[in-house]
This record gives sequence, structure tokens and C-alpha cells, in this order.
Amino acid sequence: MILDLLKSQNIEVNVKAADWKEVVDKTGDLLLKSGQIEGKYIEAMKQSIIDNGPYVVIGEGIALLHARPEDGVNENCLSLITLKEPVEFGNKNNDPVKIAFAFGTVDNDKHVKTISELSVVLMEESAVDTIAEMGSAEEILEYIKNILEQQ
Amino acid sequence: MRVLAVCGMGLGSSLVLKMNIEKIMEQEGIEGSVEVKDLSSIMGEQADYIFASEEIGAKIEHPAEVISVKNMTDKNEIKEKVLAAYKKL
Repeated sequence: MILDLLKSQNIEVNVKAADWKEVVDKTGDLLLKSGQIEGKYIEAMKQSIIDNGPYVVIGEGIALLHARPEDGVNENCLSLITLKEPVEFGNKNNDPVKIAFAFGTVDNDKHVKTISELSVVLMEESAVDTIAEMGSAEEILEYIKNILEQQ
Repeated sequence: MRVLAVCGMGLGSSLVLKMNIEKIMEQEGIEGSVEVKDLSSIMGEQADYIFASEEIGAKIEHPAEVISVKNMTDKNEIKEKVLAAYKKL
């Protein structure tokens, strides 16, 4: 469940980031601080963007960052940052990024429910702008909870 | 309609795409399946269509038609592309 993983300590609002690498660093740091991933996982998330291109910007204004289970995941986890200033990732359709999620999964299945719920939230009309403008983690969690309860 | 949703690792964007395609297929009463795959494991997979981001779509070599999606969280774009694909079957 998304709300079991996305705790307020895994959310930071109004983060300053100069470029996409800093977005990955700062979203990943929230998971590193809590010991949920190893430092090398953050580098693997960056490498994946270098190797595969900026398709991690899955929708307008949203980056979904991750690497593989074997890249240093200690437990299933999810973090979110909202950016003070939007950041270009080089994605021609969906730039600039306003909010970034990072997740880690210990295997290829355990995150499915979480990503499924995240899809529901992100499909909601203007969800990205709403989350981007919120002033606190608590507000964001309440918003996500409300969307999921309507399902 | 058998669909593969493909991304670099088969964990993130392809899963979001799968969820959203499945939702549309269910709403529209389209029978079929959507399976998540990473780029390296699609060869030899049978499918009617492959859905992927534009970047990933450009790297795919497969007999099935590749349909690229710009915004994976845009219900309207996905609905339009799923319905157009279904009609062509």
C-alpha cells in the first residue's frame, strides 16, 4: 500500500535542485537517510537515465525514479519531493519536472500494489499541480488518502 | 488484444502504463492481457501491440506494432490509442 511506504519523513516539499541529477540525489537521500537503500542505488538511478533516456518523466511534470532490486535496496520504499523551481530532464513531451518519486523494490513483484495506487493518484485530473503546490507532507498524504478512498 | 508494456527495466514506467491500459480495456469491455516487459526480454514474446514511451519505443525491434505514449498518466491519450489499436485488430 502506498500509504504504508510514503511516510511524512519520506516527503520533502519545496526542494531546490539545480539539475536532474540533483533531483535524483535529493529524492534518493530521503530513502538513504532512513537506511532503506544503499548509496549506490542513487547512482544506479542516475545511470539508468543516462542509459535509457529521460523516459522516467512518465507524465507532465512527474519523474518516477528507480533502479533494480539488486542495485542496493534494503526494503521496499517510496519517497517524494516537490520542487521549488521546475527542473528540465530533457523529456520533450513532459518537461519540466515539478514532483519526483523514487522507489525501491526488493524483488520484481512487491512494489506492484504501490505503483498501481500511485497510477490511480497520478491519473487524477491536475494531481501533479495540486501536489506541487502543497505546503506540507501531511497535506499531500491527506490528498492521496482521499483519492484512494474514492476508488 | 494482447499487449506488452515495455520500459528499460520493466519495473516503473511500464507498470504505470500497464495499470492505465488495463483500466481503459476494462472500462471499454476489451478482452485481453497486458504484460510488463523490459527492453531485453521482448524478443520472442507474442503480442498484438507494444506500448512504450517514445524513447523506448524507438529502440524496439519486434514484429508487433509499437505504439508510443507521450504522457503515461493522461487518460485521454491512452484511451484514444488503446481504442484505435483495438479497432485495427
